[in-house]
Amino acid sequence: MRTSLNEIQQIENHLFKKLTNEEEVLFQAKLLLNDDLPEKLRSQKKAYEVIQAYGRKQIMQELESAHRKLFSSPEHQLFRNKILNLFRR
Amino acid sequence: MSEIHRTAHLADERERLWIALYKDAFPLVAKFISNRGGSFEQARDIFQDAAVIWYEKRAGGTGFQVGSDKAYLFGIAKNLWYRKSSEQSKFLPLDSLADTALNEQEDEQLATTRLMNLLEISGRKCLELLKSFYYDKLSMTELAEGFGFRSTRSATVQKYKCLERVREIVKQKSWCYEDFFE
Repeated sequence: MRTSLNEIQQIENHLFKKLTNEEEVLFQAKLLLNDDLPEKLRSQKKAYEVIQAYGRKQIMQELESAHRKLFSSPEHQLFRNKILNLFRR
Repeated sequence: MSEIHRTAHLADERERLWIALYKDAFPLVAKFISNRGGSFEQARDIFQDAAVIWYEKRAGGTGFQVGSDKAYLFGIAKNLWYRKSSEQSKFLPLDSLADTALNEQEDEQLATTRLMNLLEISGRKCLELLKSFYYDKLSMTELAEGFGFRSTRSATVQKYKCLERVREIVKQKSWCYEDFFE
């Protein structure tokens, strides 16, 4: 793997706490010496947040589509009635 | 073609999972919420939020077993309901410090959403690959198979390349958002 990808892997291992003590000390030293590294670390952390937000959005869409199917298609009528009866007051 | 087939197969499988989960666990959640005066819409929202949490806890673990996870999901839903009810009964914090903290959090979330929308347009394939690994917690073998890589090695390299790309876009855009929010 090229150097920049190795660095990404190292940042990932730092963020996910997978570095050994020795590697972590080395990484902390690099953070102090390498001007670009803190910015890369910050952006990479944000990248994982964006990936998580995307994953959640997908799941919410899948759940909403399952919900629509269950509460509109004729084959799920029994289930639908059972639920809707709970909210009839 | 085969990739489309695999993706479609996966989507079908996931739809079956959600429908099975709904049929199994939603009646319990709906009954609980209806007994406490909640509405159908509240039951839906609580159930869906609980399902996301359930999924995140279960992904990459022993796999999804809808039946045996019913009680677990119900527990999450109950907690969410109690938390929401207690939030509603409390006074909202009105001092400026709390407002600032809240605003910062909102700005941060807004920035994440904007970045995600941008990446959905400019790099969906990478985002899909990264989501499958980091969020759905597929193994490198499953990832290589699902995305048509010849080996786990090339899937790993591609994963880091994608991460590099996303990181680069985050870096470029974060400058714009800082200008925007300051």
